[in-house]
Amino acid sequence: MPTSMPTDTPGAPGDGTDSEACAYTAYEDGEAPEEYPKTGAGATGAEADVWAALYEVEDPEMPVSVVDLGLIYDVSVDEDSGLCEVEMTLTYTGCPARDMILNDVRCAAETAPGVDRADVRLRYTPGWTVAMVTDAGREALREFGLSV
Amino acid sequence: MRRSAPDPSVAAGAAGSGGDDPAECPYCGSTDTEREHPKGPGLCRSMHFCDDCGEPFERFG
Repeated sequence: MPTSMPTDTPGAPGDGTDSEACAYTAYEDGEAPEEYPKTGAGATGAEADVWAALYEVEDPEMPVSVVDLGLIYDVSVDEDSGLCEVEMTLTYTGCPARDMILNDVRCAAETAPGVDRADVRLRYTPGWTVAMVTDAGREALREFGLSV
Repeated sequence: MRRSAPDPSVAAGAAGSGGDDPAECPYCGSTDTEREHPKGPGLCRSMHFCDDCGEPFERFG
């Protein structure tokens, strides 16, 4: 019987830590929602440049672009102010790579000509599923040893 | 503060998608595979083993 068990749960509401993380990962089977995954097809100007830059960002755990994983939900650039807004998701809310991926995506977006500053926002709707992975992403994941 | 409900991600058999369907091996395509662990290197993946080609692999969920 351990006697040194902490009595509070890290991330519990009200304890001052980040409590948005959850380890629940039961992915729905079936089709990706209409319009997903978003790959920037048809984007023009600075937005196309941002999509191209995001293709270069790999998931820290797998050699697959965050775009091919279907994590990028929206890219918009205000060409007057140079402000880029990226909306994206993670494979689950408790992803420990969260800060790293968000920073990589922000920095990549800011390399695009015409972008002065990028803001990256996390969204969890629609919920990510394996159906969001592009065909190129599937191929890369299989080579990596991940069943999709 | 205690959780009032059990964490579903660690309930026996609740982790992962596809229920009890065996995962398809990414190396040889066989479905003669078994899940060895509900969680892998990352919590979004589970660990599997292919009885056909003898390779360990992962699956989302």
